Amino acid sequence: MARPNFWTLIAIFTWALLILLLFVPVGSVLTSSLYDRAGNFSLTNYITFFSEPRFFTAFVNTLVVGAGGLFGALLLGSIMAFCITRFQIAGGKFASLLAILALVSPPFIGAYSWIVLFGAGGLVRNLLREVGITMPPIYGLTGILIVFSLKFYPYVYLLVSGALANVNRSLEEAAEGLGLTPWQRTMQISFPLVFPALSAGGLLALIHAIADFGTPRLLGRGYSTLATEAYAAYSAEVGSNMSMGTTISVILIAVSMIFVLLQRYMSRRNVYHGNLINKPAKIRLKGWRNVLAHVAVYFIALCGALPVIVSVIYSFRKTSGPVFKEGFALQSYERIIFNLGDVVRNSLSFSTASVLLIIVIGTLIGTLVARRTTISTSLLDGAFMIPYVMPGIVIGIAYIAAFNTGPIVLTGTAAIIVLSIFIRRLPYTVRTTASALRQISPSMEEAAVSLGYSPLRAFLRVTVPLIVPGIIAGGMLSFVTAINELSSSLVLYVGSTMTMPVRIYLLILDGDFGVAAALATILLAISGLAVYIAFRFLGRNEQALL
Amino acid sequence: MSYLTVHNAIKRFGDFQALNDVSIEVKKGEFFTLLGPSGCGKTTLLRSIAGFNDLTSGAITLDGTNLRAVPPHKRDIGMVFQDYAIFPHLSVFDNVAFGLKPRKVPAPEIKTRVMQALSAVRLQSMAERLPAAMSGGQQQRIGLARAMVINPRLLLMDEPLSNLDAKLRIELREEIRDIQKQVDIATIYVTHDQEEALAISDRICVMSNGRIEQIGTPQEIYGDPQTRFVAGFVGTLNTLESGAATDALLGRLGLTSRAGLTWAVRPENIGLAGSGFTGEQLSGTVKKFTYLGREAHLLVTTEVGDLVVHVANPSRSAILEPGAATTVVVPAESLMAFDADGRRAATGG
Repeated sequence: MARPNFWTLIAIFTWALLILLLFVPVGSVLTSSLYDRAGNFSLTNYITFFSEPRFFTAFVNTLVVGAGGLFGALLLGSIMAFCITRFQIAGGKFASLLAILALVSPPFIGAYSWIVLFGAGGLVRNLLREVGITMPPIYGLTGILIVFSLKFYPYVYLLVSGALANVNRSLEEAAEGLGLTPWQRTMQISFPLVFPALSAGGLLALIHAIADFGTPRLLGRGYSTLATEAYAAYSAEVGSNMSMGTTISVILIAVSMIFVLLQRYMSRRNVYHGNLINKPAKIRLKGWRNVLAHVAVYFIALCGALPVIVSVIYSFRKTSGPVFKEGFALQSYERIIFNLGDVVRNSLSFSTASVLLIIVIGTLIGTLVARRTTISTSLLDGAFMIPYVMPGIVIGIAYIAAFNTGPIVLTGTAAIIVLSIFIRRLPYTVRTTASALRQISPSMEEAAVSLGYSPLRAFLRVTVPLIVPGIIAGGMLSFVTAINELSSSLVLYVGSTMTMPVRIYLLILDGDFGVAAALATILLAISGLAVYIAFRFLGRNEQALL
Repeated sequence: MSYLTVHNAIKRFGDFQALNDVSIEVKKGEFFTLLGPSGCGKTTLLRSIAGFNDLTSGAITLDGTNLRAVPPHKRDIGMVFQDYAIFPHLSVFDNVAFGLKPRKVPAPEIKTRVMQALSAVRLQSMAERLPAAMSGGQQQRIGLARAMVINPRLLLMDEPLSNLDAKLRIELREEIRDIQKQVDIATIYVTHDQEEALAISDRICVMSNGRIEQIGTPQEIYGDPQTRFVAGFVGTLNTLESGAATDALLGRLGLTSRAGLTWAVRPENIGLAGSGFTGEQLSGTVKKFTYLGREAHLLVTTEVGDLVVHVANPSRSAILEPGAATTVVVPAESLMAFDADGRRAATGG
């Protein structure tokens, strides 16, 4: 009788957790947006939002960068996925690795590296000017779209290459036998089959593009989006306008939600379960086609990884204050050791704490969802979709709105940062645990029971060892997300709880790129190590990164 | 004296009645098979005996003790699963040794018992391997060794061969039968494959829609089916079209029909003229001829309907083209009659 009680407790705990960490903050955002500055209930904020040209521009801009990021990522991601899964590309695994590098690279650093190369005084731009080519600097919408495309294409690439590798070749051969041209085959057979992956990858790119705060902030030069406006409204030194910040947050959530529902609607019928009897073969291209495929793959992969390469190189350059000198030195790292040790420690301890919480609580809730179908799991599933579409900046503002006053005051503590990371990543662990458990045949535990193990011991001795590698791998990937998290921490940090991404952001604003690059390199090394451990436990499963 | 008894078992899942007043008795050392189409309740009955789902009402006793009061992990019943349920993270040896650990068997004895069990299923050379890369047949052998090594009081097998290919199925079912006879353990075997059931069982219990249709030896089930369902499910059956032609045939055979009776005959119990069968003759035309090597199946259109005729050892020259005229011989003792409820009726011949 101990077990049902235990799981009932877990169910109650789960709902309490969701109410405290999700519904209360989101509710606070919503209520805050519905009151004017004098504290009266009104729709003033929404009227202001839609009547002031400044906000409307930001709204349109958000849709523009979202759509641009979506199409850029779709274009680059599907070209790369198609070339790597269908043609023999020398060093294809290395190109995949570069895509992973782009994915786990710290935020902001991408935007700044592009400024270093193509900004007003950019390295490449100066070189080109010397040979007589003038190009416009990268600022503005063009720059944002280039960075988004290159930063988010790995979502599309990883999902679509997985789907393409699973298309049964017999289907295409059957279409060929029915007399379809290669173009018709691609459009009528392969495209519908990979559409779910394509739209899911595109959605990830879109949501991240809408939520991204750092890139438009650094590259935009006045090109504002909802994310930057929300942050500006929240952080303005004079006249901080919390209710306007929350209003923008509500609209940002609504926009993300609409796109998630749209993607679900579009791919609702397209679930195919291919059998892998006839795996697609890779064709060896000849002549100019081969050259073209290689150039395409490596151009995309190298451009995507360029920010990382630039920051690693710059982290070792000799500096004098914020100014770079000729030659290489470890000065930037020395400055981190002497001045920024606490920032690194903060990042490591906050991330470790949130990941431990995620692993323990996520596994328990995942087991509950998979094994106890009596409780309303679809409701729980729906609730867990909310953190998925919440931009980090909104989570940050929501936590400030909920925990600044009232019964629980958390602002300024490390706990608020840990919890904000925890709630954003929890849904992934719940889902992966639940799906891992659903894949283990119930007869596995029944076999152990028939051999003399009590149900609890059967669960511990058979099921747990089977899901632990997945849980560890998932934890490592959560760690990567946690340690790179910027936008919610930026809203929630105080001096003593500053994390590495926040420090990098501030350093870049100060123009101190050497130290920023060195911090970014350390962050990258930690992320790389975590990804490596995850792959050791899980096999090289690149899609688990998403 | 029966060893395992299930008495008036009823199991409901919501509105669905999976077991409808089922009673069986299994003797010590007996190989008892539950046979029926999917959804007939055979797996539900097996899982109730294992303890994975409890009956809505009814009694299960094993060797005099009330099994329903014992939690599943204390029932001491070995089970072999359709999907093998081999633990992928344990070696073959550890899989088989798994059930000995909670029984506190000393380590040296574990080793000898596991190796004995593995050699019984001819896997002793693979003890240290991981099962993931092994074939389905090998995995099911591990499953069998794992269930037998604990010396269970009862062995349950839930369609253990249905995921294997045809040839391996026959090979492994012979092995299962041999090992079961050697160890002399009462075994309940679930299958939907009638040939498998006939080959392996001491007794068969045919089920449909949560009810028992017939319990008997393979010879009784096949040769003397008590219901129309059993006759049709175990083997194939020709049903004679009711009407004047059938009545005339029955009259010539000296059989008396009643209203509501349906008459049927197995394809191998009738023959073509000149094949050694004696009885009444029916002329007809060949509709289809299927050559299968050691036998041939003919579909012959006659005045009592289309009849399937199985011809043993067809000569290579005896191929009949569709449309050819032929004569079917129907012996009187081959015919079976079923009443309106599907129960076997006395033929009064």
